[in-house]
Amino acid sequence: MITDPLAAVLTRLHLGRPQDLAAVCAQALGVDGVALSLAVAGRGPEAVWSFSEASTVVEDLQFTLGQGPGPDSARTGATVTVRDLLAVDSGRWPELRAAIAEMNLPVRALYCFPLSLGAINVGVLTLARTLPGSLLPWQFGDAQALAAALTAWYLGGVGAELRPEPDSTPPLELNRAEVHQATGMLSVQLNVPLEQALLRLRAHAYAHTRPLRDVAADVVARRLRLSPDPDPLSAPDHREE
Amino acid sequence: MARQLRLMETFVELADSLIEDFDVIDLLQRLSTRCVELLDVSAAGILLIDPHGELHAIAASDENTRMLELFSLQHDQGPCVDAYRSGNARVNIDLTDPGTTEPWARFAVAARESGYHVTHALPLRVRDRIVGALNLFTTKEAYLNEEDIALAQAMADVATIAVLRQRTLDDFQLENSQLQTALNTRIVIEQARGILAERWYTGVDQAFTGLRDYARTHQLRISDLSHAVIDGRLDTMLIPRPASVPAAPTVEAPEAAPVLDRDGWSSPKEEQ
Repeated sequence: MITDPLAAVLTRLHLGRPQDLAAVCAQALGVDGVALSLAVAGRGPEAVWSFSEASTVVEDLQFTLGQGPGPDSARTGATVTVRDLLAVDSGRWPELRAAIAEMNLPVRALYCFPLSLGAINVGVLTLARTLPGSLLPWQFGDAQALAAALTAWYLGGVGAELRPEPDSTPPLELNRAEVHQATGMLSVQLNVPLEQALLRLRAHAYAHTRPLRDVAADVVARRLRLSPDPDPLSAPDHREE
Repeated sequence: MARQLRLMETFVELADSLIEDFDVIDLLQRLSTRCVELLDVSAAGILLIDPHGELHAIAASDENTRMLELFSLQHDQGPCVDAYRSGNARVNIDLTDPGTTEPWARFAVAARESGYHVTHALPLRVRDRIVGALNLFTTKEAYLNEEDIALAQAMADVATIAVLRQRTLDDFQLENSQLQTALNTRIVIEQARGILAERWYTGVDQAFTGLRDYARTHQLRISDLSHAVIDGRLDTMLIPRPASVPAAPTVEAPEAAPVLDRDGWSSPKEEQ
């Protein structure tokens, strides 16, 4: 389903260096710019990395102004594509478009892919092109796959507890119904948002070197409850046999 | 004749649903239930393809955990994957025939343990693209005839239209976004299902029934309702808890249901 250049990008991501991916991603996806913005610790999305100066400026503008396809995508969890910024309705993102025009930025088309897992919105991946038009099917498919991989990466916590095989397959275990059910249950048990509940679930799986789906199945079957205090010494997670 | 009448009703109902701003998950679930009635099978489910080319259950006639497990076993192998890859229907598969089931033995064993004898997989087609599969299971040693298969494929086609919800199917980007949206919606429902199960201290099967029934009664989309549960916009105390959930057609007893019940409602003790 995904192309070889993107598979190489995903391999790199899995090997642990998501920060310097921007230029490689742009090249693999065949676009002029790529930007990634993430919502961190309760704040709105902020740019994490980007390639091409124009893309960087547009990304900052969008999230500073709070308007544009990126913020729309992050808010709704829907893919938002703008084939031609000069052709959108005049009422849509007026300040953003005015700023782009004023600064004479070489960006005509934006394609925003949400980093979502159900109701969890982690951020948005934005592709930019200097010329108007649609993405080709392979570009669109690759961008979706990249957004999914980045979602899994960042929801895994950066680095330590996520050690997938260095290949292009998605972290499949995030796609299991019981993982999402357990996330919902834990969010109630721990009184935390879904995102944190999922991180706790993954951290527990990693700490006990068990597959995520097995831990999730234990939570769903009520064989396992996690304690609100994540300190492993003072409050160990309770496992009922 | 009764079947023709029900068939007509089904398509009228589906056509009605497609006109409005409809709930795709609920529609696909109804469609699955209709497949069970019309084709005289025991269970039906609809799977969609993700950007990585893997299949995920989006709706089923039985939303119990065991059933979902049977679908999730087919994320990369099984009759649905065969139907997806080849674009051809794989019908009348005898799950007890080791020769037939050899390529996906794990799935076949799980299906037999759930009491199923025969399975079928029909592709969800859009022109030359396949976006998923309709999966049918029968506990009896009963097979579909040519007419049944045509009907099953018609149901699969309706499912495809429902997912892609558009009349002119010519925009690849739109198709992909809609597939993604449908898959993500399913995840939202699973998350809300977990929240409700924990609040009620019940099983996730019962939580799903509660969500679905409340959505239908109040004419809400199950996805909107799930978002409201997750955001805390809806007081989950308002959702009536169903008395019991229909049990899966199991041979072995399923895993023990939770027995502790804080609210004093009847416990979902189905087995053991």
